[in-house]
Amino acid sequence: MNMNRNFIVIAVAAAFAAGHVAAADIDAGKKKAQEVCAACHNMDGISTIAEYPKLAGQYPDYLAKALRDYKSGARKNPIMAGMAAGLSQKDIDDVSAYFASLPPVVQTRM
Amino acid sequence: MTRFTLLIAFAATALAPAWATAQTPAPAGDPVRGAQKVQMCQGCHGILGWRTAYPEVYRVPKIGGQHTAYIMAALKEYRSGQRSHPSMDAIAASLTDQDIADVAAYYSQAPLQTAVK
Repeated sequence: MNMNRNFIVIAVAAAFAAGHVAAADIDAGKKKAQEVCAACHNMDGISTIAEYPKLAGQYPDYLAKALRDYKSGARKNPIMAGMAAGLSQKDIDDVSAYFASLPPVVQTRM
Repeated sequence: MTRFTLLIAFAATALAPAWATAQTPAPAGDPVRGAQKVQMCQGCHGILGWRTAYPEVYRVPKIGGQHTAYIMAALKEYRSGQRSHPSMDAIAASLTDQDIADVAAYYSQAPLQTAVK
């Protein structure tokens, strides 16, 4: 009986976790990235300007954390503050999922 | 006319420090030297999927193959307090400009840790 209850708790937790991960929409993120991010970070996430980080293949949770920090002002950058200000929490999750989904460069462009 | 001359003089004075700073050569980064300075980085950035424990939980960013200029800027922001993370603040505080240039040179040329997907 006790085992059974544990199993249900775990199953519910797993379902919740899976649902949370699936909430990010890569296609919506791609559309938003086109509008907001691509001018500097490029659509392939491999920026050609050295001051702007490459985002392709980066962990989505790190990207989302960076965007939240820019939005809140915890991380200060005049350009990114402006960009992040216009993003909703869902936009942040979506664009993060989009850039994370892209293949990273192995060869550094110099 | 005089006002215009004054304006030019003022602009030149105001901008001179910026030019001077821009012309001061940054130390050249050496990836080989950098490789000997990344022991303290690898504990977190060298482990695929490693997560921060505090203050928030997210995976430590991949930095292999990142632009040199961006890595240098990030380290200097942590060092100056402009950007903050408990581990990175402490580590960046111990780095000289030369260390930062070397470490950035090393990581910009290191392969990305994303081959396994």
